Amino acid sequence: MLEIKNLHVNVDGREILNGLDLSLPQGEVHAIMGPNGSGKSTLAYVLAGKGEYEVTAGSVTWKGEDLLAMSPSERAAKGVFLAFQYPMEIPGVATMTFLRTAVNAVRKAHGEAELSTPDFLRFVREKAEALKIEPEMLKRPLNVGFSGGEKKRNEILQMALLEPALCVLDETDSGLDIDAVRIVAEGVNALRSPERAMLVITHYQRLLNYIVPDRVHVLSEGRVARSGGPELALELEESGYTEFDGQAA
Amino acid sequence: MDLPVQQFRTKAEQAYLDLFEAAENALPGARDHFVSGLRTKAIEAYTRLGLPHRRIEAWKYTDLRARLTDVNPLAKADGVAVSEDAIVQALGAEIASLPAYRLVIVEGDLRADLSDLAGLKSAGVEAISLARALEKPPAWLRKVLGQANPRGDDPVLALNAALMAGGVALRIGEGALLDKPVHLIQIDGTGDPASTFTRNVVVAEAGSAAMVLESFAGLGPRALQRNAATELKIGAKAAIKHVKVQRDSDETFHLSTWLVELGPDARYDAFQFSTGAALARNQVYLRFAGEGAATDISGAFLLRARQHCDTTLLVEHRVPRCTSREMFKGVLDDEARGVFQGKIIVSPGAQKTDGKQMAGALLLSETAEFDSKPELEIFADDVVCGHGSTSGQIDKDLLFYLEARGIPEAEARALLVQAFVGEALERIEDEGLREALAKTSAAWLGISPD
Repeated sequence: MLEIKNLHVNVDGREILNGLDLSLPQGEVHAIMGPNGSGKSTLAYVLAGKGEYEVTAGSVTWKGEDLLAMSPSERAAKGVFLAFQYPMEIPGVATMTFLRTAVNAVRKAHGEAELSTPDFLRFVREKAEALKIEPEMLKRPLNVGFSGGEKKRNEILQMALLEPALCVLDETDSGLDIDAVRIVAEGVNALRSPERAMLVITHYQRLLNYIVPDRVHVLSEGRVARSGGPELALELEESGYTEFDGQAA
Repeated sequence: MDLPVQQFRTKAEQAYLDLFEAAENALPGARDHFVSGLRTKAIEAYTRLGLPHRRIEAWKYTDLRARLTDVNPLAKADGVAVSEDAIVQALGAEIASLPAYRLVIVEGDLRADLSDLAGLKSAGVEAISLARALEKPPAWLRKVLGQANPRGDDPVLALNAALMAGGVALRIGEGALLDKPVHLIQIDGTGDPASTFTRNVVVAEAGSAAMVLESFAGLGPRALQRNAATELKIGAKAAIKHVKVQRDSDETFHLSTWLVELGPDARYDAFQFSTGAALARNQVYLRFAGEGAATDISGAFLLRARQHCDTTLLVEHRVPRCTSREMFKGVLDDEARGVFQGKIIVSPGAQKTDGKQMAGALLLSETAEFDSKPELEIFADDVVCGHGSTSGQIDKDLLFYLEARGIPEAEARALLVQAFVGEALERIEDEGLREALAKTSAAWLGISPD
């Protein structure tokens, strides 16, 4: 269970999150919506532990532990996973090598033995097939020359392989056509479970037709301005974010 | 009007002249007219040039005169015991275990007991100890020694010609296609400080194809001053791959010069991999002498502490329709310094030349330094030439991406460094060698091979 209390975050000396409170129980899927600049991606990066985000006040606890005290890799080992809005391209690192290094690093942190190469290949192939990822793609350097849709599917593949307990999806639908959104959403839905919490960050309601959330929170000016059920997303689709734009200004 | 000029010489500059004077009559080939003629000409050139320093443009970043304060006595090649275990230890298991025709050269001395001379002979390659060959050079050697892309303006090369005392001369026969590399293992014992002057000569006759792998390493720590030269004359339609793996001890000065001349439609692919030596200067002079030839000269250097590694290339397109590619990648930690100087000269009339070079360094510390100097001199109008250079630190966003997937920071950094070096290693066609060097890089980074 994720508990965020009065979170204040600065980036380059500018306050982006401004007293954010959020509680995400195990097994639930919450959507974070909001206009551009409301702090959605900042929240995602702070949860994953990106360096240049300075927490000036507040707390984030994950399963009772202080998440903010952990390094990014420790957070990943504790089951935190961020699906990036813009996945990185790394020439010189084969996708398969990267996947195996990540899976084995997390297994090692859990005190589990590394997967043998054949076991790992079987494991990847099965998950990749469900996401319509060609084996050829896994031989290519990580995300290099991948289309937008391939990159996002690759993110979900990593999520499926690492089996995290907290999934943060940052604008996973951005830049995707409707077919790609459907494939990605199916991948995400396959991972929904009572043991797993998800935070789905999106600007548009569209993704939430496929990944139906338990709760919707609207961010504005760095804090939660309104929370409600799935119907809140539909309401925003009608009215837009005008109500929330510059609310605190 | 000639005025008597008293030229100032540093202690080391004078020491080389003294070294030559003392050794001259005992050097191999002292009684051979041709060989002693080469030596005399070379020592005269050195006397005129002196040791190179930073005010000489080609030595701008490697002030050899300032760095070389003392000259060590010549090494004595008198039967240093070398076991297989010692070779594996010195080269690293990955490189030592590559299938190859081995030629083991200890302190310049070609050791028949450790070499596969019979195997080479049946593959169509004549291999002779340079020390022996200089006493009475065979006709084919007389035609190339000191004549493959000769340079009269290089004092390091001049010293090599004046004092060369060991190495190997190879003649790869017309049309010979070697099934595995010729591995020149140049290894030196421990003990007193010493200087070695070795020269290898490779003649690849028309239509032949081979890989020549040169490994340099020491059996242990030693203040060695190594001056090594390799001359390659590559005949029409011959295809030579030439690789150097330099893991000299970290007290060694490694001065290396490759002289390459390419005949028509020849192909020359070179790779230089360096992790050793206190100071290394890797010079490659390449000249296209026949139309339609192509070369790729690439490499990687991984340095730490106060290591200094200078790669200086001069590619001369003297004839039309030749292609050159250069790509070097360096990883620099601590106070290490990497230097890349790449010069491409396109002569008048060398139309349809295609030359490109790229150099990049990854700086792992604030105090590491990379100096890159591309130079293009183009005197023809129908050519494509380009160069690029980058220098930077590990990308924080890439690092975060890997860490966010559970890969601890140290491991993530190493993976990114490996990826960086990997871009250069990809130029090596031979899979076994490429993987051996990838593992050698990983070991340098402190990653155990999986």
